[in-house]
Amino acid sequence: MAEDSRGDPACGGMDGRKDPVPSSGGFNFPEYEFPELNTQAFHVAAFGELWRGRLRGEEDLSLKDLPGGREVTDSGCEDAAVARDLGCSLETAAELRAVCGLDKLRCLEEGEDPEVIPENTDLVTLGVRKRLLKHREETLRIDRACRQETFAYEMESHAVGKKPENSADMIEEGELILSVNIFYPVIFHKHREHKPYQTMLVLGSQKLTELRDSICCVSDLQIGGEFSNTPDQAPENISKVRTIIEWSESHDRGYGKFQTAKMEDFTFNDLYIKVGFPYLYCHQGDCEHVVVITDIRLVHHDDCLDKTLYPLIIKKHWLWTRKCFVCKMFTARWVTNNDSFAPQDPCFFCDVCFRMLHYDAEGNKLGEFLAYPYVDPGTFN
Amino acid sequence: MGTPSGLKDDCEALLSRFQEMDSVRFEDFAELWRSMKFGTIFCGRMRNLEKNTFTKEALTLAWRYFLPPYTFQIRVGALYLLYGLYNMQLCQPKQKIRVALKDWDEILKFQQDLINAQHFDAAYIFRKLRLDRAFHFTAMPKLLSYRMKKKMQRAEITEEFKDPNDRVLKLITSDVLEEMMNVHDHYQRMKHVISADKSNPEKSLDLIKDDFFDNIKNIVLEHQQWHKDRKKPPLKLKVKGGEEKSERNSQQSERCERAESLAKIKSKAFSVVAQASKSRRHRQVKVDVSDSESGQVQTKTTRKRKNKETLKPAGKKVSSRDRGKQFFLCS
Repeated sequence: MAEDSRGDPACGGMDGRKDPVPSSGGFNFPEYEFPELNTQAFHVAAFGELWRGRLRGEEDLSLKDLPGGREVTDSGCEDAAVARDLGCSLETAAELRAVCGLDKLRCLEEGEDPEVIPENTDLVTLGVRKRLLKHREETLRIDRACRQETFAYEMESHAVGKKPENSADMIEEGELILSVNIFYPVIFHKHREHKPYQTMLVLGSQKLTELRDSICCVSDLQIGGEFSNTPDQAPENISKVRTIIEWSESHDRGYGKFQTAKMEDFTFNDLYIKVGFPYLYCHQGDCEHVVVITDIRLVHHDDCLDKTLYPLIIKKHWLWTRKCFVCKMFTARWVTNNDSFAPQDPCFFCDVCFRMLHYDAEGNKLGEFLAYPYVDPGTFN
Repeated sequence: MGTPSGLKDDCEALLSRFQEMDSVRFEDFAELWRSMKFGTIFCGRMRNLEKNTFTKEALTLAWRYFLPPYTFQIRVGALYLLYGLYNMQLCQPKQKIRVALKDWDEILKFQQDLINAQHFDAAYIFRKLRLDRAFHFTAMPKLLSYRMKKKMQRAEITEEFKDPNDRVLKLITSDVLEEMMNVHDHYQRMKHVISADKSNPEKSLDLIKDDFFDNIKNIVLEHQQWHKDRKKPPLKLKVKGGEEKSERNSQQSERCERAESLAKIKSKAFSVVAQASKSRRHRQVKVDVSDSESGQVQTKTTRKRKNKETLKPAGKKVSSRDRGKQFFLCS
């Protein structure tokens, strides 16, 4: 990763927290370096502190549930608070409550369905939507969400509002949440221009290693070797190989400006980062992922508040898995080359079809072919 | 998604109609909102994913109008719009309004301005949004993912909602004019001093027109007046019938109308004074508040009175500078 914590690397490893470099006025104030593209580098924890300093003493940082049923709260009490905060009279406060009530915003009558577009609307948005609905009605037999949409929505919302069972696992008020896009290494040509990515939420207080460990990459699972003669020796249980990230690896590849440091010594709070700027994560020697931190913000009451669920994946690119050529049902686990039985080269098979086609009842190899265990990139769907 | 089609048109339609109402009262905004049935903008059987995306985009769009360089009235309108969109959305849990660190101080200042000017309804609404935890406190206004777009989509600022960028006024501030006058006087005096005949300076020293300074001043004044006339429609007083709190009867409105026209004529002579640049702050002209009837700062707004004077196009507090007044009048 480029631009890890600056300052003396020797003082790392104590409790992980570093003092930010003394700033020339607002050094830690996120500002665009290139408009609309990315920010200048700033210290994550210092940024968090800038926000917390401004919100301390107010209820903005609170993660507690709001007093239940705002309509039930004592309006007299509320009016007093309003009068105090705005410097107006109690009478005015009561008037404000009436004049600015939510009922003043209601546009539908009692029985009206909120999903139906009103007949004579001037809103351009609704006109567009109406035409779209009409088009859907005319062209689609069944109008419902496709698998990918359901999947995407599930990913986005599955952890929202979750509270931990153990209160020790509750996220602290004022914690920072970073939104990180991790791009897949380009395997398919079609992904050259628009790389698929997954989005993860990670806490400021979490170590870099925790994010690393949660990234599922097929290159972790690749098994080298040709196994046509001994198909049973291809590892059945594919366990994730522990990756060892040595920045000196990157060092040798010519990224000389990186400092050598251990990921497990630093949390995201310790970093100086540019939001929106592509960084590089290398593992398995030469598997590279582009990583972009797209957002940092304070934790909110409606977020997932269980810290054991972080890093939390909220968006994943749906990859079509390659299916067995024979049955077209199961995901391919073998790929063959120079295969006399196969109509194409390379050809993909699931385990059962592969054995049925290439080996006799006793398990003897039939014909000529080369066979390699195959891990489909869509394995992690 | 990018901004959903039609959404910008709808928001701007609402805001410009609010601008035409010449009011910053939530009551008026709410009336407009209901008449346009703006709350139905979420209707139409959007599925969950689209609902989330649409709502996020709507809040982002409305937020832009809440920040400078938009006029005070538009910013208040945007605040009300945010309130409406946030509370009428159909997402569960509600989509939040993103506010970046660099904008927060400006927003707090705005809130304080609202309180000071006793626009209690606007201040109440902002306070309520905050209490409802409608905000996400972020690093930057939007997510940045280094997408190399073929055309950089730059947010266009609607010109009608903005204070016009008056380069002439910015260049020739009253400060500059005052200094010009001083220099001119000094120059004339110098000419007198070094001439043989003390009452009449040498003709050979006549290098500029004597009335050069006066001409510039008049041209600038004319320009200012033209600007004002261009922006503001002729002064009209709206009297709302049937209001218990209305203090206007027809006689009073006539008097007020005359008073306001008088004020307008006077203000012709000493109009908006742009704030001097930092390097010139020590020479910033100051105001003598006692003399200013066009003093437009902190006019108390009774809830029902539509007082045009409070709705300054400029977001800044404009105060007529007394010294500026004097030197324009006596030249």
